[in-house]
Amino acid sequence: MLSIKNLHVSIADKPILKGINLQINAGEIHAIMGPNGSGKSTLAHVLSGKSGYTVTEGSVTYNTKNLLAMEAEIRAREGVFLAFQYPVEIPGVSNIYLLKAALNSIRKYQGQPEVDAMDFLTLVKEKVRLLDMDEKFLYRAVNEGFSGGEKKRNEILQMAILEPKLCIMDETDSGLDIDALKVVAQGVNSLRSPERSFIMVTHYQRLLDYIKPDFVHVLANGQIVKSGGADLALELEEKGYGWLEEQAAA
Amino acid sequence: MSASAQQIKNRISQEYKQGFVTELEANTFPPGLDEAVIHKLSTIKNEPEFMLEYRLKAFRHWQTMKSPEWAFVKFDPIDYQAISYYSAPKRKEDGPKSLDEIDPQVLDAYKKLGIPLDEQERLAGVAVDAVFDSVSVATTFKGKLKEAGVIFCPISEALRDHPELVKQYLGSVVPPADNYFAALNSAVFTDGSFVYIPKGVRCPMELSTYFRINAAKTGQFERTLIIADEGSHVSYLEGCTAPMRDENQLHAAVVELIALKDATIKYSTVQNWYPGDKEGKGGIYNFVTKRADCRGENSKVSWTQVETGSAITWKYPSCILTGDNSTGEFYSVALTNNYQQADTGTKMIHIGKNTRSTIISKGISAGRAQNTYRGLVKVLKSAAYARNYTQCDSLLIGDRCGAHTFPYVEVKQPSAQVEHEATTSKISEDQLFFCRQRGLSAEDAVSMIVNGFCKAVFKELPMEFAVEAQALLGLSLEGSVG
Amino acid sequence: MNTATASRYTAEYQTLAPTLPGQTLPWLKQLRCRALEKFSAHGFPSPREEEWRYTNVSAIEKKLFSPSLSLTTPPVDKVWLKGCQLEDAWSVVLVNGRFSAELSVLDGLPEAVSLMSMADALTASPAIAPLVEKYLGQAVNYSEHGFIAFNTAWFTDGLLLHVPAGQVLAKPVQLLHVVTQAETMATTRTIIIVGEMAEAKVIETFAGVDNSYLTAAVTEVFIDQNADLTLYKMQSESEKAYHFGGTYVKQGKDARFTHHNFALGGLLARSDILTDMDQASECELNGLYLGVKRQHIDSHTRINHLKPHAISREIYKGVLDDRARGVFQGRVIVAEDAQKTDSQMNNRNLLLSDNAEADTKPQLEIYADDVKCGHGVTVGQLDESSVFYLQSRCIDEETARNMLTFAFANEMVDKIRIKSLHDKVLEQVLLRFPQEGIEKSWL
Repeated sequence: MLSIKNLHVSIADKPILKGINLQINAGEIHAIMGPNGSGKSTLAHVLSGKSGYTVTEGSVTYNTKNLLAMEAEIRAREGVFLAFQYPVEIPGVSNIYLLKAALNSIRKYQGQPEVDAMDFLTLVKEKVRLLDMDEKFLYRAVNEGFSGGEKKRNEILQMAILEPKLCIMDETDSGLDIDALKVVAQGVNSLRSPERSFIMVTHYQRLLDYIKPDFVHVLANGQIVKSGGADLALELEEKGYGWLEEQAAA
Repeated sequence: MSASAQQIKNRISQEYKQGFVTELEANTFPPGLDEAVIHKLSTIKNEPEFMLEYRLKAFRHWQTMKSPEWAFVKFDPIDYQAISYYSAPKRKEDGPKSLDEIDPQVLDAYKKLGIPLDEQERLAGVAVDAVFDSVSVATTFKGKLKEAGVIFCPISEALRDHPELVKQYLGSVVPPADNYFAALNSAVFTDGSFVYIPKGVRCPMELSTYFRINAAKTGQFERTLIIADEGSHVSYLEGCTAPMRDENQLHAAVVELIALKDATIKYSTVQNWYPGDKEGKGGIYNFVTKRADCRGENSKVSWTQVETGSAITWKYPSCILTGDNSTGEFYSVALTNNYQQADTGTKMIHIGKNTRSTIISKGISAGRAQNTYRGLVKVLKSAAYARNYTQCDSLLIGDRCGAHTFPYVEVKQPSAQVEHEATTSKISEDQLFFCRQRGLSAEDAVSMIVNGFCKAVFKELPMEFAVEAQALLGLSLEGSVG
Repeated sequence: MNTATASRYTAEYQTLAPTLPGQTLPWLKQLRCRALEKFSAHGFPSPREEEWRYTNVSAIEKKLFSPSLSLTTPPVDKVWLKGCQLEDAWSVVLVNGRFSAELSVLDGLPEAVSLMSMADALTASPAIAPLVEKYLGQAVNYSEHGFIAFNTAWFTDGLLLHVPAGQVLAKPVQLLHVVTQAETMATTRTIIIVGEMAEAKVIETFAGVDNSYLTAAVTEVFIDQNADLTLYKMQSESEKAYHFGGTYVKQGKDARFTHHNFALGGLLARSDILTDMDQASECELNGLYLGVKRQHIDSHTRINHLKPHAISREIYKGVLDDRARGVFQGRVIVAEDAQKTDSQMNNRNLLLSDNAEADTKPQLEIYADDVKCGHGVTVGQLDESSVFYLQSRCIDEETARNMLTFAFANEMVDKIRIKSLHDKVLEQVLLRFPQEGIEKSWL
């Protein structure tokens, strides 16, 4: 589904990613772990098309297409979904408006007619229940005045409704208490399917207690320094990142 | 009033320590101002012809102007005929050739102020130009600066030795007709510092001017002109004090800075003119025009000021950001106590593309003082992608003082981003209690809080001045300022 | 200052005077005379006055507007009027500065509530006329500036609303000012009194057909102890019109005042919202100004904290396109006695075009020490992280920008608590934005 080859990325001439190679097949969950400043969030942003990053080398192929050549919204319509570490507040735009605008953009892109208003509402309400959210959320402005947990849940709600193929979750666990973490994890698990892949960017292992990854990669100093199975995350939890960084530097 | 509040009061009502008078023989003009006085002034300074014309033109314009009236600054009309426009300690000859020729009384005065001028004790790494009333009495490290090609001398000397430079730049940032006090200064300025940093030179040491008003019934009208040529860099410091006198004395200075392509000027002031007594009697009227022109691309000017003295302070060190990618900064701490009034701030005029400005202003008002921040951020149509960030905070100590914030924001360019924030608060009882509960005395707690409040500005000051600034706020600050 | 203009108006005063209401009342006649003298001497405000530095009214000075002398209502396009008039409110209509009984809807108004034209109030029952005498000119003095003097000397009519103590109005009251005639000056004076513990919602709407005219309206508001008033101002004057509208408020102890100011119309429009706050009172000022073409829209507010424990919140937003210029001047004054004041002011501006301009001047004047005051101002563009967020949710950039621009303004519209008014304002706001990507039916 996604093939990252020798990806080099700079911000304002400063190299951040220095040759990332990663192969993600449909249905897989990959966790990207690493210390602060290792380039985890940069990877998430570059894949979703945020401006301000320069790809100096390498390629990213997504379902046979050149992902890097697409505008951010085209990537999104193609099924790449970024769950933000810090979801943006947009006063004046209601959640329901955003969801409708987003869903219809995808349908239009796929050559389908706009969603029927009643069907849409039924769909949304079902997902809202699933994520244990209050329906009133739908009519409030996007993320405005939401708590950290509410914002993250709102991201998962959008994910559930837009049904992406590749979900990139940027530090989804940050700022969540244990109950909110469980709800979010439950939401993600309910979205798991053989057609859908996940990239979970995280500093800590605790999210992986609830969403079990197939692969764990450790990013340090802009490179993947170690890859392994779910057990690697536990090892990192115990030993920290220091030994890997030293290994990489040596 | 709680005990702690009383302690705050004690802490801030420190005595003025620089209020002594130096007894010496001086050459002083009788009070009064007319064209004859200007002729005499120009003659005594042996100035080139263009300077006399410049002065007379400014004087004639000044006569047509009216003294400004400000809504938030109150003062009695100034009798310009009762002021003497020139006062200089008597010298053996034209000018002192070496320190031996300077009146020992003057040297002693500077020593008392902590600014030793003699060779052995001078401040390491800082070249000082000492201005006493109307004349520059000494400039240190001249030789070392000359090696680097830096010109640092009294402006009266520059007029004789580098008239072409002075002529080219004088009045190019602050034209004589700019405002009432600038016009007056242009007509009667007596001395001040002149700095020229040649292309690509990084000035090897801090330059500093120390202004001292000593004589009674005089005004000080100094003029400073700093030119940083392409790619050069200079840091300049200015300090001021005056004796305690019952009458108000006028200080109307003009400072012009010119930064050419890739040049940087850092200008720091610790202003501690006599503020008047507790009843508001006496003190200096500090009406100053300071302006920088970031004329070249990528040039940068940074103003840092700590204003603790003067009965009235009226000054707005400003930046005209003409060059593309040029940067203007203004960091200010203004402390007013008793009956002091301060109306200070800055103007940032964005003309070039990608110009940036930052304004950090901290006002502290105590007693019956009035402290006003007044600032203008203007983005012209040409200034694409201009950025400004302004933060003004006021701290109130006592219930009879005032703190006012008047920012003006004018934007004519859609890609500009201008952000202004202001807050006003007092030291909260909670903060004080917290500190005391952790074992600090109330005094130390206030010191800590006030210094924390000013930290963003203090860290911009050169080390020597940061120490002086802290001392001036009357607070013990060990290690809390970095 | 243009006294030549002033004297042209003054010259016509004698012929107009007999048609002005309250000519038989000595106190009012005297007040008008003093105001006229003031106006004759000073004319309209000059940009040299600090409060007018960004707004030059010389365009108004160049014209000579005349008041409507006719006491009968001229024909008004019913469909157009319906677009302005709220259905679920008691509404009082003033046409060209004169009360129109036939267009007003006052059925079911509680008897204790007085709602009538200023002309009627001045000649009405002995219970009402003294009320006018007691309050007129108490919230604002004619010497404040030229437009107040002008209004005081020339007001042709206006409205009086008195909600007695303890009364809670079941429906909002709409004061609808319309101008149908070219070159008319609509000078109206309104007094709103909300008695102790009473509650009311009032909407002032200003609209006109496509003409050049001058509205110079002054509203004085008195909110008694513990009373609550929400006042909406919907200014959608003709795009050729000049508008001055001043709202001057006196808040009693614990009184609550909420103001929503939608400044959308007019070629040159200025609004003053000034409030004096007593102990523990609360005020909330919300404003939205949208400038297109060559509009100049000036919003001026002053919150005067006179006594302790009062709270004020203010947020004004502006969106400026084409050659429009938006001005915001907001003053917060905290008097020596006003300890424990809590005040926040915000002004946000979006510039959409190379020729648009925003001038803003928030002011804090603080004379008490135990206060918590702050203000913030921004002028700039849309937040790029919000644009990216929407793009990452499948929305193309242009639509995203349109949505965010609209949302910026819509945040203020969403604060309206009266559905019919909300929809009318929303419609007007939408008219002024790029429509691409905005689905009205989803809002």
